[in-house]
Parts: sequence; C-alpha cells; structure tokens
Amino acid sequence: MDNLLGAVADSTRRAILARLAAGDARVTEVAADFPISLNSVSKHVRMLERAGLVRRTVRGRDHVLSLDAAPLAEAAAWIAHYQRFWDDRLEALDKFVKEKRKQTRKRKQQ
Amino acid sequence: MNDVANVPKVVLRREIAAPAKELFDAWLDPASLAVWMRPGGTPRTTVTVDPRVGGQFEIVMHTASGPIPHTGTYKEIDRPRRLAFTWNPAHALQIDSLVTVEFRPARGATEIVLTHERLPSQEAVAKHTKGWSDILELLAESYREVRSTA
Repeated sequence: MDNLLGAVADSTRRAILARLAAGDARVTEVAADFPISLNSVSKHVRMLERAGLVRRTVRGRDHVLSLDAAPLAEAAAWIAHYQRFWDDRLEALDKFVKEKRKQTRKRKQQ
Repeated sequence: MNDVANVPKVVLRREIAAPAKELFDAWLDPASLAVWMRPGGTPRTTVTVDPRVGGQFEIVMHTASGPIPHTGTYKEIDRPRRLAFTWNPAHALQIDSLVTVEFRPARGATEIVLTHERLPSQEAVAKHTKGWSDILELLAESYREVRSTA
C-alpha cells in the first residue's frame, strides 16, 4: 500500500500514468514528453513498476509500457459507486420536497 | 491543500428550490429519509435516528435481494448550515467514510454541497496521499466513459 501511495504521490509519475492511460508507449516516447533526462524517467517508471501500476513488455529492442489500473480499481469503483448513489439521492430529495409542497398547496386549497 | 483533502472523495453540488431549513430537516427526519433513501427502486426503507452529535442512525434499505443496513454517527449538526456523519454500509464496499452536507442559500433556493470522503486508516497513509484523488478521478472518469459507451 505504501508503495502504491508513494508511487502516485509525485506529479511526474502521475503525468506518466496519465500518458499511459491514453495508450501504451515506449520508454523513449514517454521520456520525450518530459523535460527531464531519460535516466530520471526510467527511475520514475521503475517506481511505478514496483507499485504494480505499470507493466513493461520487451518487444525486440523496444520496452513498451502499459498501465495496470487494477491496484487502483477498488478505490476507483468506490468513487464511481458513490458519485452515482449521492447524485440519485439528491435527485430523490429534490422530488420529495417538490411533492411535499404540492400536497401542502392542495391541502390549503381544500 | 491538506493531506485529508487529497484522500479519495466524491463532491456533488445540486441546487434545490426550497429553504435550507426544510432541506436540512429532511436529512434528520426518519419519515422523510424513508422516502428518498430508496436507491435503484428499493421498495422500502426503514430509518431510526438519534439526531444529536454522537448519536447514531440506521437506514435499512429493504432490497429485493435482502435488507442492506447503513449505520453511522452524527459528527456535526449545525442547523441549517452543515451536517456531518460517518457512513458505514454493511456490504463489500465497507470502508470508514465521512459524509458532509452543506446548505448554502442561493436566491430562493439552496445549494447543497455533498462531500463523501474515505477516511485515512492511518496517519502514514494520509502523508502519502498527495495527488491520490487526481489520478483516481482520472480513472473513475475513464471507468464512467467505458460504462456509458457500453
């Protein structure tokens, strides 16, 4: 868990994850996007690999990186679940209040 | 930005055409909660509340596949401005979490700002969570896109 949280704690590593979320890329392609040396990009990538967030496949001379979001999936699912849950509840509260006001008006008219 | 603000969380805003007091009370009244706490066509919800700081509530959603109890403790009751409570559902997604509901008057209506955050289980985790929510939001976003196009 510490590995995971430490890995996403750095803005360069988050940017690498965002880049890989858009699609697989070679180490050299990722490095070209950042104003830092290939060597430091490689270090960041190794940290992400240790956290289980990035996988490396060697194809000939190319090292292709891909994102593995599984370690974050449980937390992402929590967020997706509650975004929908509370959005629906607030919608229901809105309806409930409107309905209550309608009934109060009717009662007054009778 | 403090560390807790970076723990995974959900923030929602909605404007409802009713006074803040009326909306605030709907969150603490068992009869009201029983009506609008019925997600996904839950036929019946039963509610007990002890509406004071430190008091507990229980919202049981009686779904087709069985009752799902949600319990929590009121942390803050500031009528009609702010309400905070812990939220512990008895299912697989059970994680210590805190819900804060703010009621802001907005020209004949009230803006509700709801924040639901997972609580860090230990201080050490909180110290490492800078930017945690950014990446999770990104992933949650892509997850929603996948679902909506499926």
